[in-house]
Amino acid sequence: MIRVEKLAKRFGDVEAVRDVSFEAPDGKITGLLGPNGAGKTTTLRMISTLVRPTAGRASVDGVDTAADPLGVRAKLGMLSDARGLYTRLTARENIAYYGQLRGLPDAAIAASTEKLAGWLDLVPLLDRRTDGFSQGERMKVAIARAMVHDPRNIVLDEPTNGLDVMTTRALRDVIRRLRDEGKCVLFSSHVMQEVSALCDTIVIVAHGAVVAEGDPETIRAASGCDSLEDAFVKLTGAEEQPA
Amino acid sequence: MRSRTVIVLLKELRDALRDRRTALMVLFASILTGPLTLVLMGQYLSGLEEKASTLKVRIVGQEFAPPLVNFLQRADVDIEKAPADYEARIKDGTLDAVIVVRPDFHERFLAGDAAAVELVYDDSRTESQGAIRQAERLLRAFNRETGTLRLIARGVSPNLIEAVKVEHSNTATPRQKGAVLLVLIPLFAILSPILGGMTLAIDTTAGERERGSLEPLLANPVPAREIVLGKWLAAWTSASLVATLTLAGFVVAASFFAGKKLASLMQFGWPEFGLFIAFVLPLAAATAGILMLIATYGRTYREAQTYTSYFVSLVSFVPMVAIFTGLKDAFWQSVIPVLGQQMVLTRVLRGESITFLDWLMPAAVALLIAFTCVAVVSRLMGEERIVFGRS
Repeated sequence: MIRVEKLAKRFGDVEAVRDVSFEAPDGKITGLLGPNGAGKTTTLRMISTLVRPTAGRASVDGVDTAADPLGVRAKLGMLSDARGLYTRLTARENIAYYGQLRGLPDAAIAASTEKLAGWLDLVPLLDRRTDGFSQGERMKVAIARAMVHDPRNIVLDEPTNGLDVMTTRALRDVIRRLRDEGKCVLFSSHVMQEVSALCDTIVIVAHGAVVAEGDPETIRAASGCDSLEDAFVKLTGAEEQPA
Repeated sequence: MRSRTVIVLLKELRDALRDRRTALMVLFASILTGPLTLVLMGQYLSGLEEKASTLKVRIVGQEFAPPLVNFLQRADVDIEKAPADYEARIKDGTLDAVIVVRPDFHERFLAGDAAAVELVYDDSRTESQGAIRQAERLLRAFNRETGTLRLIARGVSPNLIEAVKVEHSNTATPRQKGAVLLVLIPLFAILSPILGGMTLAIDTTAGERERGSLEPLLANPVPAREIVLGKWLAAWTSASLVATLTLAGFVVAASFFAGKKLASLMQFGWPEFGLFIAFVLPLAAATAGILMLIATYGRTYREAQTYTSYFVSLVSFVPMVAIFTGLKDAFWQSVIPVLGQQMVLTRVLRGESITFLDWLMPAAVALLIAFTCVAVVSRLMGEERIVFGRS
């Protein structure tokens, strides 16, 4: 379970995140939805402990990010905004490197790699060097790498960015499977359809603050709009451009 | 559980070894060029030595100067008749120096007039210097002998014209003469670990960030210092490997001269190799650390390469300064990285004995620098502006 309370982050004069609070429970898919620059990536980075909040706090399974960053990282599988691979290593070696760094025995790494490769349709690619991989193939390796230790909490930053339809569908299946295994899945997207197709709970973020939270139907009803898309546009203030 | 530092070290080494092109480039650039230069320089110098040791003059018109020819024959000098086109030959470098005797030489010589000979040479060619000096020396010796004989014939002591009698006594041992030539080896000993560690130092810092693999790497539950330590060990390993191979190449190159006249100048065998390694490995630790620290500030691989090239220029400048200012050994030099190693390595080549203390000070300074760099890089890896880049 991931819990975020009144998180804020300021970079110099820029207030990237002003006031973000939400809870992503186990066994549920939580979507962080917002336009580009709303503060989604910064929020996720604060959860992954790589960015220190200016105010507020975040915790993963009750472990505070400020108090025990390594403990939080151990409980988390994070597909970050940067997802570069080592192009001279094979897909399998890329995945194994993270498994070893997390202290997994070789047998566990091998088993985990097989399972994730099966889910992500990666098996024929495993022993090839990643430098010739397509964007979708690289993404799949990055996801497998982030989940090699079978984490209870999974954070995915815009995982469907730049993927074709087939890969996107495969990825959705994986996310649902993870939820069905009882994991906490938190993922961000700026594509409303993406979030509404997949999420149990949606958290809409705009200008660094949460503007709506709940299941898709609740959000639509609360906004007084006919469709979720209208609600999204209205809530994120995409109509009235702030000066 | 395996040490995470070792996991990082092994991964970085494997990654680097798969980059065949760069590995070959480093191998070629540092391991071959040094010994190759030594062989070429050695050949050149032994050529000079041969020219100087066999006394030989070329003369035009020797038939006009029987007393000079007589003197040269007594001095065991080979006299060779110069070809008619000697001036052109000197210009294009196939002849070094020619003594030209005028037809009226003997007549004037007997009359006691100054009998002129002309020495033709091109002093813009360094390789001709030996032959020119030799011809000059022989002519001067002939002059002195003739003058002395004439003074004696007139009942004057020859000591009158020689107010000061100069006796040469050169204290340089052949080994010390060799050390002048062998500034080359310390220079390569200092630069090769930098070239050898550079690729890894940059690839594991700026390269990692440019690839977008730094953020996910740091999201693992591993303290940054363990990761940085592993990366630095990889850079140090690579630097040490290249330095070792380069120095071993010099041993092999120097062995080509064994048995030749120049062998005494080229004393760089396995004992010297061992001493060099003892000094170079700690230095490699420091340079690997410094390169990593510099490269951490690079946003891209190329940017980091630019920054580190300044460092390489700075380092290659130090031995030059030491050589051209003729710096004398002093204790303070041992605490200055690069300079300390340069001075002590030159002493190794001069055949002087090296004590444990001579080793300890530069090594301690180098390791201190290395650990400081690792600590600073570890701290930087926890900073948002470094991990996520500045915009």
